[in-house]
Amino acid sequence: MFTIFKRRLLKNWLMILGWGLGLGLLGYYLFDIYETFFQRDVNLMEVFNAFPDDIMAFFGGDVDLFSPSGFLHLEFFSYMPIVLGIVVVTAAASLISKDEEEGTLELIISQPINRLTLFASRTFALILSVILILAITWIGFYLGAHYNDFDLSLVELTRPFVSLFAILMLFFSLALLLSMILPSSSSAGFVSGFLLITSFFISSLARIDEKLEVVNRFSPLKYYQGGAAVEGLNTQNLLLMSGITVFCLLIAGFLFVKRDLRFGGSGGFRLVFPKKEQLEG
Amino acid sequence: MNEMVIELENVHKYYGKVHALRGLNLEVTKGEVFGFLGPNGAGKTTTIRCILDLIRPNSGKIEVFGIDPQRNPTTVKEKVGYLPGDLKLEGDFSPRDFFKHIRKLRNNRREWKEILELAERLDLNLDNKIKTLSQGNKQKVGLIQCFISNVPLLLLDEPTLGLDPLMKQEVLNIIREQRQKGTTVFFSSHILSEVQKVADRVGIIRKGTLVEIASTEDLIGRSLTRAIVQFEEEVSPSDLDRVPNVEILRINDNHRAYTLEVKGEMNGLIKALANYPVVDLEINKPSLEEVFLKYYEEKEGEK
Repeated sequence: MFTIFKRRLLKNWLMILGWGLGLGLLGYYLFDIYETFFQRDVNLMEVFNAFPDDIMAFFGGDVDLFSPSGFLHLEFFSYMPIVLGIVVVTAAASLISKDEEEGTLELIISQPINRLTLFASRTFALILSVILILAITWIGFYLGAHYNDFDLSLVELTRPFVSLFAILMLFFSLALLLSMILPSSSSAGFVSGFLLITSFFISSLARIDEKLEVVNRFSPLKYYQGGAAVEGLNTQNLLLMSGITVFCLLIAGFLFVKRDLRFGGSGGFRLVFPKKEQLEG
Repeated sequence: MNEMVIELENVHKYYGKVHALRGLNLEVTKGEVFGFLGPNGAGKTTTIRCILDLIRPNSGKIEVFGIDPQRNPTTVKEKVGYLPGDLKLEGDFSPRDFFKHIRKLRNNRREWKEILELAERLDLNLDNKIKTLSQGNKQKVGLIQCFISNVPLLLLDEPTLGLDPLMKQEVLNIIREQRQKGTTVFFSSHILSEVQKVADRVGIIRKGTLVEIASTEDLIGRSLTRAIVQFEEEVSPSDLDRVPNVEILRINDNHRAYTLEVKGEMNGLIKALANYPVVDLEINKPSLEEVFLKYYEEKEGEK
């Protein structure tokens, strides 16, 4: 199991470093501009205050945009589910089914490892990759907060990352599940990406248009706190997102174990559901 | 009684509406080299993938060393080395790193020295990235990972694909060595002359059903032999027509040269020829390829 886990993690090291360092630098820099733009430039605050409430609601929800948590939400955590979400969804959709499409999985799975081990090893490696990206980003935030004398404790700084991790994991598991069902990794990436972006807009617009609230209940991003988590985590939301994540991962793992591997030329690349005899096997 | 290594009983496999395996029955015994023949789409690769539990049959029984691959896939795979017919390797490995990876997955079963020896025999550079290798060299990587697995059963799907004639010969030599060590080798190939060289028994699959299974010698022996006879003087066709199991295919040189097809024993023909002054006699045993083609022509004709 460790061999596969390590191999997958090493394959992701460029992604981890690139995204982690990039977002970490952005985080560090954000604390600098907070100082410049909001604490010293009163005029800019007036400009923001002049925006219609609907616009401010779309970007910030209910948080105070001039508080550290509101600022972090506006400048980082509000759009991170989309930015990192696309990365995670693409990686998850390709995690296993891309190798099936390319044919490289055939030789690996013919070695004495069971399918569940392969599935779990690769899944944990990708989850750890996401954790490492967020950890490097967190370090950037911490250094930014520290050198700019920000009044944020370590716990307060960590909470929005926990919320971000939970929503990323939800879309990760959804994309992985779809990659086990849909005919290709690209179609799984497309559908889960579409759901991610739709969810983002529904959750943002629902703050302006009450009629969307009914739909918003089914939108994963409704349960994402973002920067507001600095004030405290909503445990109920976290549990809900974690529950859905675990459920999707279990179903995805079950499908991978029970179904045929897909091969080009064998008619394998179509919607996949295990047949009765495979479930009994 | 010979120990059974692979046993398939009434195996059916569907790909959607395509009925790929239609009640396939097959038995491979310990220590034999079994050649699995059939044209594209006959079900060779599907059979191998079912044996390895990469895909599951819709019905029927499969056992490898008496173990059901669906119930204990890992135990079966511990005993099997596999070379896929459509071999695809992760390009960012070098062959050296790839073999290290495989050894770890197989718990370091083989001495590294043996890997180096195999690489030298097959003339494979271990340090170039796999993505830069030619198809033939990639095939060598696939073969070596299979041979280093040090297992009692090898499943080789088109093992000499993409190799030059010298390397093909070397691979056939390695297969023979594996047999000498007691390894069972099940391999499919389109190149029937290769199967003829190494296989103890041959199975012919057609449209998902095993239509023939016999020792390679028997299969060739029981088929037709071609004889070209050159007489010193004219011989009447009716004289040769009377010989049992002999059919005249061609007459040349004013009834002095005959091409004959002999079914079964040559005894009758030899006795008949003793009555005539024979200048030259050439007897051609058919190759496995001719037998195979003949078999398919007959079956298509029956349809």
